Parts: sequence; C-alpha cells; structure tokens
Amino acid sequence: MDELEQLVVTEESRDDREEIIAQLMSEYSDGILHLVYTYVKNRATAEDLTQEIFIKSYEKLSQFNQQSSIKTWVYRIASNHCKDYLKSWHYRKIVLNEKFLDYIPSKSKHIDEEIIAKDEENCLSNAVMALPVKYREVVFLHYYEELSLAEINKVTTVNINTLKTRLKRAKELLKDKMTEEV
Amino acid sequence: MNDPFTKLKSSMKNTIFKDLSFSDEQKKAVKHAIREDKLQPQLHFWKEETLLDVFEFLQREANHGYEISNHLFQKYDQSFQNNQGQLYTLLHLLENKELLTSKWIEEKKYYSLTAKGKKQLAAYTQGSSKHGRSFKLLLEEAVL
Repeated sequence: MDELEQLVVTEESRDDREEIIAQLMSEYSDGILHLVYTYVKNRATAEDLTQEIFIKSYEKLSQFNQQSSIKTWVYRIASNHCKDYLKSWHYRKIVLNEKFLDYIPSKSKHIDEEIIAKDEENCLSNAVMALPVKYREVVFLHYYEELSLAEINKVTTVNINTLKTRLKRAKELLKDKMTEEV
Repeated sequence: MNDPFTKLKSSMKNTIFKDLSFSDEQKKAVKHAIREDKLQPQLHFWKEETLLDVFEFLQREANHGYEISNHLFQKYDQSFQNNQGQLYTLLHLLENKELLTSKWIEEKKYYSLTAKGKKQLAAYTQGSSKHGRSFKLLLEEAVL
C-alpha cells in the first residue's frame, strides 16, 4: 500500500480529506484530464469535468475501501462521470447539434486536415479518437495508462473477457482505418 | 503492419494531449469548491426523527412548507419552533440532493418526494429491523 492509500485509510477528518484530494490531484490530474478528453473530445469540457470529478471524489472519499487501489477508484469515478455527461440532456441536445454544424464542410478546413493527417502520429491519435467510445476507453486505459485488464475491469466494471474482445476488435478497426488512409 | 498500438502512447502525448495539463489554477478552483462545500449545510445537522417525519409526511401527499412545519409541531418536534427558516434550509438541501422536488401551485411551493426519496424511505421502513441503519445514514449514502 502506498503512502497515499495509507492516509486514506487512517485519516478521516475533513481537513485530511482535503489534503488527500490535493495529493490525488498532484498525482493523477493529468491522467484523469486525458481520460476525460478521450471521452468528450473537447478541452474546455474536459477541464470542467475533471474539476467536478475531484470534487466528487472528495464527497465520496468515505466510501473508498481498500478493495481497490485509490488510482482505479478515482479513475472509475472519472469514467462514470464522463458517461453520465455523454448521456446528459445538455450533451445530446446542444453539443451534438453544434458538432453536426461543424460537419458542414468548409474548403479551407478540409485542406488543413489533409496536411495534418499526413503526419503519422496525428494519424494514429485521430484514428483512436474516431473509435466508438467503448473501444476508445479500453484502448486509452490499456495502451496509454498501461493499466492491466484486471485494473480496467475495476475502472469500467466490464468483464475481463469482454475487455479482451474489445481490445482485439479495436486493433482490427484501427488497422483498417490506418491502411485506408495510407 | 505491426501492432498499431506500440507507438500510441507517445503519439497521443505529442498530438491530442499536447499541452493538455490540469493547471494550478484549476487545482485551486477545486480546493476552493471543497472549502465552500464544508460551509454548506449538511444532512447530519438535522435530527433523525425530523428527517423521517418530513419524509413520511410528504410520502402521503405533496405539501407546502407551512403545512410541513405545522405537522412537525403537532408531532412535538420542536426543531424549528423558534427558527422556521431552518426548515426551508432543510427543504432546499433535500431538493438539491434530489430527494424532494417542488412545484408552485397558486403561489405556494409544494414539496413531494422524488423517486429517489421514496426509494430511501422504503428501504428504511422495510429493512430497518434487519440492518439497524439509521434513516439519516441511508440518506447520506444515497446523496453522495
């Protein structure tokens, strides 16, 4: 058990909880922000949601038990928070409509994108971000965060065999996408 | 083509996640919000019986604040006798936590239980003997 977890288990007062959240932020805030971005694909929204996630973690801290690591626990709160956001009325009615407007093609934008897409790193990242959310989430957690399948199971509650299938399928989708663009 | 994911981490770092970092200002904002939250009225501030009375009273029908306070008074709950305003603080808190909902009818605000509120009350009345958990604790867990 690392120092942070020790603190969570032994300390319960509100000041201590505040300190725990401060430490969680210094350790995991970029990782969480990147996870959130992977779900919502918008920087400003990702930053807002990440703030909410840490506030939520503070409120829920008394529910943390040692069954999971504090990292997977916070990531799980983050993952659930993002999924709630994607299901929310605001997102479905307002944000998706705005996105739809973005699709009305403008010539200059098209050319920009073509130039960018030639870059291999961009190409790969964009391909990941274009995956359906259930694949995107597992790809991010496994290849970017380098979590084990057991840890991803703790974060997403998705069965390990299902996770394996999703990773395999995600790889296929990604290969198709990459060869298509070459 | 080899595993397309091998370069994924560095690729994402250098592109979409480039300069995407949770700033100190944002961390400060979180800390500030947490401190504000500490000052907010909390459920544990109220007595178990008071919470239970309010829920049981509203389970039957929607009621406005004045009726709720009358009802509590009749039940010899003196909690709000000299401080009616506190009752409204409690009602707003419960509404914020989505345990109550309200509707304006003829210039009076009528409160009733939400599905979530009903569920907690039912869980308490059905399971109280088994688990011996207080209603307040159930509510606190439900609103987290």
